[in-house]
Amino acid sequence: MNESPILVQKVSRAYDGPPVVRDLSFAVKPGSIYGFLGRNGSGKTTTLRMLAGLIRPQAGEVRILGQDPFTIGAAERQWLGYMSEKAVVPAFTRVSSVLNLGRELYPTWDGTLADALIARYDLSRKKRFMTLSQGNQRLLSFIMAIAPRPRVLLLDEPAANLDVVARREILDDILDLIRDCGCTVLFSTHILSDVERVADEIGILAKGSLRVSETLDSLKDSIRQVRFFGFPNGIPAGDIPESFRAVRGKDEITITLRTNSVTTPETLARRWSCQQETRALNLEDIFVELSRN
Amino acid sequence: MFFLNPSSGVPLYVQLQQQLEQRILSGQLLHGAQLPSVRDLSAELHINPLTVVKVYQALEREGFVETKRGLGTYVAHESPALKIEARRRQIGPAVEQLVAEALHLGLGEKEIQALLSEKFRQFKSKS
Repeated sequence: MNESPILVQKVSRAYDGPPVVRDLSFAVKPGSIYGFLGRNGSGKTTTLRMLAGLIRPQAGEVRILGQDPFTIGAAERQWLGYMSEKAVVPAFTRVSSVLNLGRELYPTWDGTLADALIARYDLSRKKRFMTLSQGNQRLLSFIMAIAPRPRVLLLDEPAANLDVVARREILDDILDLIRDCGCTVLFSTHILSDVERVADEIGILAKGSLRVSETLDSLKDSIRQVRFFGFPNGIPAGDIPESFRAVRGKDEITITLRTNSVTTPETLARRWSCQQETRALNLEDIFVELSRN
Repeated sequence: MFFLNPSSGVPLYVQLQQQLEQRILSGQLLHGAQLPSVRDLSAELHINPLTVVKVYQALEREGFVETKRGLGTYVAHESPALKIEARRRQIGPAVEQLVAEALHLGLGEKEIQALLSEKFRQFKSKS
């Protein structure tokens, strides 16, 4: 299958005010884990809700496995696993009833996988949903999303409220799912170390638009922070083309840019007859640089 | 065991590739030795299988390993040309760093060469 299992094309969506998502386009390759990053309010949850078929874009279109998720029937829905930011389950429902619901809803429900995860996460079947810790509620929601063995998995902040060990476990479970059935995953998170470990592609959303959407390797390979210093004629003024961000100090400028663009650190240093010093950025640095104005 | 730091500016595939090359060059992994499967290694390191695939493909391109279809990935017979070339490449970043620092501190080529010779002597007398 060459078609992208997750496709967003020129999508815009507003609620009551200005658009939360603006003219957003990206695609996730089959078998990929796409880390969807952005500050609070940048439009991540709205995008995921559109992909899950809960709300419709006002412009543009979204496609899951080539179909409109808003109109797919029950048979296709089991291919689409979705873990929302907040699970809505009646407070007194027992864990066992939640699992039974999954079995009834999804013909592809993998009871063995669900049982294994329940045991691994140490969840009690008799407990009522509201008596579970927030972390355990997240884990149960995660089981509900992956036990039908979906072909596309959408996870909205799966790691929120989880401790480090539980986070590692669900990351391993996501990786297992990919190894076993070539699932394609889109997940939003604020925990960048998780993304750096498992994601191969990254999208950084700011104010409803993507600043970047590419492989994590190419981001790390190409984005550099460069300090220019030793200016003979004072600091140059004006915009620096193709740069993400420039911070001017008293006698130096620090610029975040791509080394594979036309304007390289070397060409700038030559133009300004100054010296330069380059450093690589990790994902947290890149995220901060690209999310700021 | 490999030591990967996902929160580094160096991409994971580069880290893993360097460590595997280093083991092959230093003889810790002998020719004919089988590398772990993509599946096993990605599970062990808790990383995306695509990262391991990328590293194995790069190692194969560079001539470090051979993939026998359906059997697995094996350390290739060494070619002397590759070995010296690959060793130079491994040490390249360290040399570049050294020269950059030297220029920064206003130390010349002669002074650095003297310091290097001194270090070589120290290491040789220790071993």
